[in-house]
Amino acid sequence: MLEIEDLHVSVQDKNILKGLSLTVPAGEVHAIMGPNGAGKSTTSYTLAGREGYEVTSGAIRFKGEDFVDLPPEERAAKGMFLAFQSPIEIPGVTSMNFLKTAVNAQARSRGEKEPTAVEFLKMLREAAKKLNVTEDMLRRPLNVGFSGGEKKRNEVLQMTLLKPSLAVLDETDSGLDIDALRLVAEGVNALRCPERSFLVITHYQRLLDYIEPDVVHILAGGRIVKSGDKTLARQLEDQGYDAVIGQAA
Amino acid sequence: MGEIISIDRLLKSASALQTGTAPWAGALREQGREKFSRLGIPDRRRESWKYSDLALALTKAPKGTSVSRVPLALDGSYLAVFENGVFDAARSKLPADCIVPLAAVLADSASPFAKTLGQINGAEQTGHAILGLNTARMEEGFVLRIPKGETLSNPLHIRFNWPAEETADVDGRHVRLLVELEEGAEATILETHRGTPGFATVVTELRLAQTAKLTHVRIDQLGGASRQTAITLGDVSKAAQYKGFYLSEGGHFCRHEALFELTGDNANVEIDGAFLVTGESHCDNTTVITHAAPHTTSRQAFRGVLSGSSKSAYQGCVKVRPEAQKTNAYQMSRALLLSREARIATKPELEIFADDVKCSHGATAGELDMDALFFLRTRGIPEEEARAMLVEAFLQEALDTIERADLRDVAAGTITDWLSLHATEVTHAG
Repeated sequence: MLEIEDLHVSVQDKNILKGLSLTVPAGEVHAIMGPNGAGKSTTSYTLAGREGYEVTSGAIRFKGEDFVDLPPEERAAKGMFLAFQSPIEIPGVTSMNFLKTAVNAQARSRGEKEPTAVEFLKMLREAAKKLNVTEDMLRRPLNVGFSGGEKKRNEVLQMTLLKPSLAVLDETDSGLDIDALRLVAEGVNALRCPERSFLVITHYQRLLDYIEPDVVHILAGGRIVKSGDKTLARQLEDQGYDAVIGQAA
Repeated sequence: MGEIISIDRLLKSASALQTGTAPWAGALREQGREKFSRLGIPDRRRESWKYSDLALALTKAPKGTSVSRVPLALDGSYLAVFENGVFDAARSKLPADCIVPLAAVLADSASPFAKTLGQINGAEQTGHAILGLNTARMEEGFVLRIPKGETLSNPLHIRFNWPAEETADVDGRHVRLLVELEEGAEATILETHRGTPGFATVVTELRLAQTAKLTHVRIDQLGGASRQTAITLGDVSKAAQYKGFYLSEGGHFCRHEALFELTGDNANVEIDGAFLVTGESHCDNTTVITHAAPHTTSRQAFRGVLSGSSKSAYQGCVKVRPEAQKTNAYQMSRALLLSREARIATKPELEIFADDVKCSHGATAGELDMDALFFLRTRGIPEEEARAMLVEAFLQEALDTIERADLRDVAAGTITDWLSLHATEVTHAG
């Protein structure tokens, strides 16, 4: 699904990613864990195609296709989804209107038929109900005045409707209490299937108790320094980054 | 440079208008003529015209072009049509018994409107050159009067059709409207301007008696070569309410002034506005809100979207007289700058002579939110569409202040239409 090969990325002329390599096969859940400053957010923004994140060398291939030069909207239409660490508030755009615009734009980009208003509403109501997103929340401006948990549920709702092939979750656990975290994780787990991969980026092991990864990678100094199964996350939690990264180096 | 426009030339036809005019109206016109002769055509040397040099705009050839627009319509409304500043009764659909043509008012030596025409918010009329010019030359227009306790059953759409193409008619068209709402009366007015006046002044005087309520939505869709100064004057008395929404797309010279005086306890004036300008266009919103009675409230909030090398101004003045204790006044200007060449001048002014008042004001100017733009694009929304969405979102808060859904739809449709006509200017940063 996703292959990252010897990726070097600089932001404002500062090298952040220095040879990141990673492969996420279809249907798998991979976690990237790393200390502050390791390049976690840079990885997610680079995958989503944010301006200012300059790929100086290396490759990103998505479903075998070179991804580096594509704008964010084309990556999205091809099945890439980034769940934001701090979801954006957009006053003046209702959640419902935004979701419909996004679903239609992706359908158009893929040459598919846009869902009718009735089809869309049915799809939206079903997904919203499961995530405990109320009709009122859908009618309000996107994320404006929402709690941390509500915002993250909104992100999962977007993911549910847009049906990506690869979802990158950027520190989705940040700012969530246990109940909110559980609800968000259940939403994500419901989307797990053999055609869909996840890249879960997190600082803490906690999220991985709820979203169980197939592979855990440790990112430090802009590259993957160690990979293992889910027990690696536990080991990090017990021993700390310094000890584990120290062994790897 | 074109021909020099002189005071005499602008007043040329004024004396001819005196034929058939009642003595009170003749005196009023003469005062106007005298005032304009004395004050002259406003230019940037006058502080309140610093960002809008009318003298220069009248001589300078316009650079802007006109784009044809679909006429705005409001289902089920009454209609008053002005064709190039001339009232067109045949194409109008007027409410019965409450409209009198201006000419009939001016010819009537015992007109009940002699007390109000030219007298609303007198303090602001005193030193106003353009009000002088309009009064000297007013010929077309009407008086709308709603009797005590009555409600105009449908909104009145006052539709100004100006010429589709640029004209050399800088001598001007001068329209005068007077709206009188008697005690407890209510009305809704949609005022639209479309086309390219060579030079027009439109003065609307509003008198709201006790507990009267007026909703006024005005939409300027003037062409890039148009020159217009519109002035709305209001006297809002005890517990009366004026709710205005002003949408403007600018022009070669496009200025609207809202000059309101709150003359009775608990009077309320709320003005929200939005303007979208591009190319070489100019757009000026000037307001003077005078609180002259206790417990009065006012609110002004303008949002501007500026692109191309357009020049805009928002001048908002709040005056609180000594007797106007417990005044609550709010003023806000927000500008979204979509190009480096676009300019906006924002000038808030407070003149407060009472000690127990609450007055706040603020102004912001910024670019599109890049985080929001990136977010929308990661959801698959193409950049141009995402930019347009954010611009519309910026204006949505202003639109939401329009209570009637049909009026809100007309304003929202105008904005959507403008954004699609100017997609290139709006969606390409720089």
